[in-house]
Amino acid sequence: MLKVDKLVSGYGPMQVLWEPSLNVKKGTITSVLGPNGAGKSTLLWTIFGTVKPWSGKIYFEGRDITFTPPHEKVNMGMTLVPEGKHLFKGMTVYENLIMGAYRKEAEEKLQENLELVYTLFPILKERAQQKAGSLSGGQQQMVTIARALMTNPKFIMLDEPSQGLAPKIVLEVFETIVKLKEEVGLTILLVEQNAEASFDAADYIYVMHEGHFKAEGRPEDIRKSKEVREAYLGI
Amino acid sequence: MKAKKYLPFIPVFVAYLALFLIGETVSGIWQLIAMLAFYCALGQAFNLFMGMTGYVDFGYVAFLGVGTYGMAITISKLYSHGLGFGLIAIGFALAIVMSVLLSLAVGAVALRLRGAYFAIATIGVNEGFRYLIEGAKLWNGSEGIIFSGPLRMAFGRQTATVLTTFAADVFVFIIALAAAFITLVYMRGKVGYALTALREDEDAAKVMGINVTKYKIIAFITSAALAGLLGASAWALKLTYVYPPDVFEITYTVEAIIIVLLGGAGTLLGPIVGGLVYGLSKYLLAIILPGFQLLIFAPVIIFIIVTFPEGLVGFVKLKTRGTWLENYIV
Repeated sequence: MLKVDKLVSGYGPMQVLWEPSLNVKKGTITSVLGPNGAGKSTLLWTIFGTVKPWSGKIYFEGRDITFTPPHEKVNMGMTLVPEGKHLFKGMTVYENLIMGAYRKEAEEKLQENLELVYTLFPILKERAQQKAGSLSGGQQQMVTIARALMTNPKFIMLDEPSQGLAPKIVLEVFETIVKLKEEVGLTILLVEQNAEASFDAADYIYVMHEGHFKAEGRPEDIRKSKEVREAYLGI
Repeated sequence: MKAKKYLPFIPVFVAYLALFLIGETVSGIWQLIAMLAFYCALGQAFNLFMGMTGYVDFGYVAFLGVGTYGMAITISKLYSHGLGFGLIAIGFALAIVMSVLLSLAVGAVALRLRGAYFAIATIGVNEGFRYLIEGAKLWNGSEGIIFSGPLRMAFGRQTATVLTTFAADVFVFIIALAAAFITLVYMRGKVGYALTALREDEDAAKVMGINVTKYKIIAFITSAALAGLLGASAWALKLTYVYPPDVFEITYTVEAIIIVLLGGAGTLLGPIVGGLVYGLSKYLLAIILPGFQLLIFAPVIIFIIVTFPEGLVGFVKLKTRGTWLENYIV
């Protein structure tokens, strides 16, 4: 579904991505693991187009989208769930979700998607009229994911969904991500520092270090390979 | 349902109508009213960009400046062609064209920057433009353009006087109303939706599929065009001269920022309240304590902004949420 070929990008004169190539198959969860500063978030924001690629190619469903602007990518069914809490804190949960349905197609499917989101996250239905900023960290993360679903996507990228969450909540978030794949039929690319959680959820894993992919494979294999674990994941 | 969206325009219209009628009936007060209307219009036009996007344009006065030139050039070059009131219309049209062109040039570069970087990038625009006019001897350079003669020749002495002492101020009222109406249309439509999202969180707006650059430019151009019109009427038509240091004076930008913050950024009524509070206190302080007005003014503004961080209208808006008033106070 998504194919990235030798992507190079960075900020100002500083190169961050050193030609990683990756392939995300339709209906799977692909996870990019790596320590802080490995370039994981930059990878996502470059694929999305907020950070401009210097060279390399990005294909989405066979189309070259290397230089397609972000809003058009959303129209093609791609979106990104940003790290941390990029929510509209002063608005209610419901207003946040409605904001997600900005695109025309998303607006048409508003009710349908709202029901889907409320089924996936019943707590958000209860808290619909509450200010988003007053929710707990885990619930805020759910609002961010839910708002992304309101854009009616087929492919979503998640930037460190476990960041700043208690271990028990991390588990919940990852269960939801698996549900997104199995019940909603989404294709997912996520980047994570939390290796253990990713191993259980992901179908395929890339290990990133200093802008390169150092290893890739199925979770069982990555989990087993001692070098990878010691060198890059510290577990 | 559709009409309900525009209910908040009623208090705006009433406020400007009341201001206008007071000026018409109370003798000797018209100049004060005209000044207040100018500040309200300035706030209204500035709010359209700053209030709705959260970006602060320190070079805003440059749009008023080029608008002033648009009217001045038109009258001084075309006065002998017997265009009648078409001359004024062409002047306004040229004011819009010039301010829009400048906003495109500035926007293409500066709107790529965020937050404080945008503010810094725009700070030099008016100074740069002023020195360009003076240095390159553009449009008469530092001598400016004086066109009271051409105006009299085109319209006759009597009509020219009405134009400068009355019509110019009425245009300011019309511009303020137009700016308020456009603000409301934007607020209640897809533009406002997109601008709210990008003001709150630009990255979040992008992942929702909003073309943030497009909407920033729409707000920027609209706001600049209104500023151009304002310069063309409140400065060019009213004063019948244009002089570079006067029309590129950064103080007006700062005043615009104060008015918007006092009233409530991103609110519809904010610029009216902010413009009236600012204009009246400036006027009264200058009478009561001449020379000390700025010294007194600074703590007053700090006090208001600390007490009502959302601005005066923003404060009232929060208080009236859930009551029948919420349909009107926006």
